[in-house]
Amino acid sequence: MKSIVLKLFALMLFSLSLHASDAHAPAAEEMGSSSTHKEETYQPQTFTEMTMGFLASTGVNAILNPDPNEVNAHGEAMSDFHKSWGRVLMILITFLLFYLAIAKGYEPLLLLPIAFGGLLANIPVANIAGAHGFLGVIYNMGLANEMFPIIIFMGVGAMTDFGPLLSNPKTALLGGAAQFGIFGTLVGAVALSQYTEMFDFTLQQAAAISIIGGADGPTSIFIATKLAPELLGAIAVASYSYMALVPIIQPPIMRALTSEKERKIKMVTLRHVSRLEKLVFPVMVLTLAIMVLPDSTPLIGAFMFGNFLKESGVVERLSDTLQNSLINIVTIFLGLGVGSKLAADQFLVLDTLAILVLGLTAFSVGTAAGVIMAKIMNLFPGSKVNPLIGSAGVSAVPMAARVSNKVGMEYDRSNMLLMHAMGPNVAGVIGSAVAAGVMISIFG
Amino acid sequence: MEVNYVFEGLKIMLLGMSTVFTFLVVMIVMMNIMSKIVHRFFPEANDANNTSPAMTNNAKKIAAITAAIMHHRQVK
Repeated sequence: MKSIVLKLFALMLFSLSLHASDAHAPAAEEMGSSSTHKEETYQPQTFTEMTMGFLASTGVNAILNPDPNEVNAHGEAMSDFHKSWGRVLMILITFLLFYLAIAKGYEPLLLLPIAFGGLLANIPVANIAGAHGFLGVIYNMGLANEMFPIIIFMGVGAMTDFGPLLSNPKTALLGGAAQFGIFGTLVGAVALSQYTEMFDFTLQQAAAISIIGGADGPTSIFIATKLAPELLGAIAVASYSYMALVPIIQPPIMRALTSEKERKIKMVTLRHVSRLEKLVFPVMVLTLAIMVLPDSTPLIGAFMFGNFLKESGVVERLSDTLQNSLINIVTIFLGLGVGSKLAADQFLVLDTLAILVLGLTAFSVGTAAGVIMAKIMNLFPGSKVNPLIGSAGVSAVPMAARVSNKVGMEYDRSNMLLMHAMGPNVAGVIGSAVAAGVMISIFG
Repeated sequence: MEVNYVFEGLKIMLLGMSTVFTFLVVMIVMMNIMSKIVHRFFPEANDANNTSPAMTNNAKKIAAITAAIMHHRQVK
């Protein structure tokens, strides 16, 4: 039964394409002459003309005979490959993303809307990602002006508990070390464009790519839309894919850099943190950001706003909305808007490959830097730090902290590192926001 | 003149990493000071509750034991 349906479908496609290819030339002429008069009069057509005109407007025809006058979302000319088979290939890539999101559970909350947005953006003729298509409208409404990532940040702030960080402040250094992934990759990206002919990233583009190493989706999107909107699709996909791949990427690096003895280090139990401390902390960090780096305050301000609402304890309803309904609504729009940048002409370029590789490097270097920083801290007197929590310094809350916990448990069943790892984890979010602020202050 | 972008990148790295670390170190210092202030001047009601029931319990126990001993002695 299934094979018959498939055969019928193939036959239909085949005959359509035959018709379409010989119908194309006269139909195109007709469309040119008729469209100018369309509004004034309706020209009576024979049924054959009507059918031919319709066939010329099908997706199959658009893919087989790309329209030479078609322009992309920015009004630039596109190559024939990007108009035809490139789109088919992109649609297949979005199917792969569906598979990864649904069957493998890779960040489905964002990957699924992004992938579906990508599917819609690659439909020929309909031009959904264009300025007047709905994806284009969503993109201009909240991504072009960097609003959606900021709202997501508010929600993340309302979900974050700074308790573990407050009870062991020095672990914040681990979150700083992990930002080395960002800046190291920046150097890597400019070196790549300086010494090879294939790639030509500007400093701005290199900065936008390297923020992937911060392992913080909203920050990556925020910086990418600000510094290199043309790379947004690839950067967002790389960023969220690697965040989903944290449990696969990090453990080998963590094991390679630590000894068995270090992995078994038990950390001092966390002290109790009072409510007042948690309430003062967001305002304190924001004050610090105002004094040191005002360019980071859009991100830190939104983050701390969400956290302040939560810790105040008097606006349960608002904090609940930020954590649930608002972040969910914005996630849908953010995903679709980012997906609109997965159009073939913007994604199927050599740069994407470089972004995927550089993003992975950024991520690995950040992980390694965090672990090494923990080992350096152990050289100083004071309570010992288990180096496994260093990897949690690359934000990716709370996945990276869970990975630290899991690897720790493999070596000592009784060693619970989860809460200890949450400290560097949330410090990593602040660290990447500061790194982003530095990028904005230099390039913005 | 050709600009060496790698060198530019290294400068950005130096500036960026030192900013991130300065920010976090100042944040750590402020956190420690803030915790001290909060614990000294605004101790949480919980802490007091945690200790006082134990105290009163102990006091009650001691009272009960003394009463029992006194009673025992009187009976003798």
